[in-house]
Amino acid sequence: MRVLIAEDHRRLAAALAEGLRREGMAVDLAFDGRDALAHAAVTVYDVIVLDRDLPVIHGDQVCRMLVAEHSPTRVLMLTAATTIKDRVEGLGLGADDYLPKPFDFSELVARIRALARRSSPPLPPTLTHGDLVLDPARRAASRGARRLTLTPKEFAVLEYLLAVDGRVVSAEELLQRVWDEAANPFTHTVKTTIGRLRAKLGAPPLIETIREGGYRI
Amino acid sequence: MRRFPRRLTPAGRWRFPPRTARLRLTLLYGGLSMLLWTALLALVYLLLNGSSTVVAQISPHHVRLAISAPPGSQFGTVTRDFTAPNGVAVQQRDADLARLLGVSWLGLALTTLGSAAIGWFAAGRVLRPLRAITTTARTISAGSLHQRLALAGPDDEFRRLGETLDELLARLQASFEAQRRFVANASHELRTPLTVERTLLQVALADPDATVQTLRATCEELLVAGAEQERLLEALLTLASSERGLEQQEPLDLAVLTESALEAHQVATHRLGLRVRADLQAAPTNGDPALIRRLIANLIDNAVDHNVPGGEVQISTGLQDGGAVLSVANSGTAIAPDQTARLLEPFQRLDSSRLADDLEHHGLGLSIVRAIADAHGAGLSVRAQPQGGLAVTVRFAPGGRA
Repeated sequence: MRVLIAEDHRRLAAALAEGLRREGMAVDLAFDGRDALAHAAVTVYDVIVLDRDLPVIHGDQVCRMLVAEHSPTRVLMLTAATTIKDRVEGLGLGADDYLPKPFDFSELVARIRALARRSSPPLPPTLTHGDLVLDPARRAASRGARRLTLTPKEFAVLEYLLAVDGRVVSAEELLQRVWDEAANPFTHTVKTTIGRLRAKLGAPPLIETIREGGYRI
Repeated sequence: MRRFPRRLTPAGRWRFPPRTARLRLTLLYGGLSMLLWTALLALVYLLLNGSSTVVAQISPHHVRLAISAPPGSQFGTVTRDFTAPNGVAVQQRDADLARLLGVSWLGLALTTLGSAAIGWFAAGRVLRPLRAITTTARTISAGSLHQRLALAGPDDEFRRLGETLDELLARLQASFEAQRRFVANASHELRTPLTVERTLLQVALADPDATVQTLRATCEELLVAGAEQERLLEALLTLASSERGLEQQEPLDLAVLTESALEAHQVATHRLGLRVRADLQAAPTNGDPALIRRLIANLIDNAVDHNVPGGEVQISTGLQDGGAVLSVANSGTAIAPDQTARLLEPFQRLDSSRLADDLEHHGLGLSIVRAIADAHGAGLSVRAQPQGGLAVTVRFAPGGRA
């Protein structure tokens, strides 16, 4: 899951990114409105966590522009203003969800996941394929009766492959959707992660490699 | 104005109506008119009683009517004798006087009542604007300070009272709004460090592989966030107290205070490679030294933090038209001239491209400068420089504030 955090308070942005990365999300950071729009123009994010009081271009304006472009990205607005009027205004701008500061980190994670699930087609809270069961909210994966211990990255790759429901996913797409912009596209990161994942999933093999195409479950 | 309460006391007696201005005016008017009429009638009565027209019984069958001219005139006294039965003259005269007295009482009662009624009506008319003021003022509360009396009518005392009250309301409204904005902003700004702290803690606690090192790092970050909050609170308190006004004033020299402030900022300017050009001429004035020090420090902070690498800070103090003047100008990114007024409002930040760390900025620096300048009755001008950066000038009144 690819998430953009647009927040001008750098320490808060860094702490949020660290927490979300641990939850298996690929997180990019933007510190002002212009930066956020530039990121959104290059990468398709599942969710943008948008602070309302962004400098240069105000969060409201960023939200309006994202909605006007009909981007599939879901917008979660953060704000320190807590009056009902502010919340109604924020949602009226086209934000998909609204979270007042200070918030609980667990609530933020749950809301980001809920928003990502709403992308089309809607996904069930638990992803299954044969005897493989993946529960993104609880970060739990199991195959048959065996619990799988996956790193956040491995979990995210598996989640993405299950979410596309049998479609072939290229290595570039995986890099786009699961890794953040810090990843080097010229390494074998995807290949090695898939390799480790296959070993953990065990037999019979679930992930197919399609020649010249990519991977599929 | 209230209506007369026609209520009865528990004992069943009429209570005296409240002593409103209208009633007092009516009583005054009615009373005065009664007094004047009484005096007039008494005069007439007395004159007639001892009038110079004398009817006298001169024999059992004759009366003599004598009319005398006022004393000193060329006419004497005219007398005529009439035939009349004995006692008629005295009866006639007493009857005339009695009738006069009766009519006088009636007239007095009627004129008194009449003038009281006219007084009541006139007082009502005159006091009508006052009633309008009372009614409107009663509906104005803290939540509806935008309302105004807006009295129409001639330019009289009442209209001037109404206008004075309107001006008062406008001032109250401005200060209420500033207060409300400030509280909203303050609560808004205080939430951000709270969010940082909570997020840091929750992310650290949620880490299943947390080590002593990572927890230690989180603790250090929390301390920094706490310090940030502390600075913000201190700045808020300074702002609030400088808006309250001056507690003490003493003679001071802006040049001396600026020099020590520049020394305190040497490390920061050196680190950022800024050139500082100071032209410090003696600039004596009166003020609160602690607040003035804060004003100077905030201006220098602002000039340093919003500068560009290798940029410049120009500071000068001196006397202009007998008043002490401090001006601080810095190079930096270009600012639209219409944005400068916003900079003085609390918690306004124009950009995210700053030289110094994020934490140093609470967005209150220039608001505090303005509050301190206002408290000293000093003029503050903030200009965006065409080549980028700001130029701020503080002008103190000649001889300090009286």
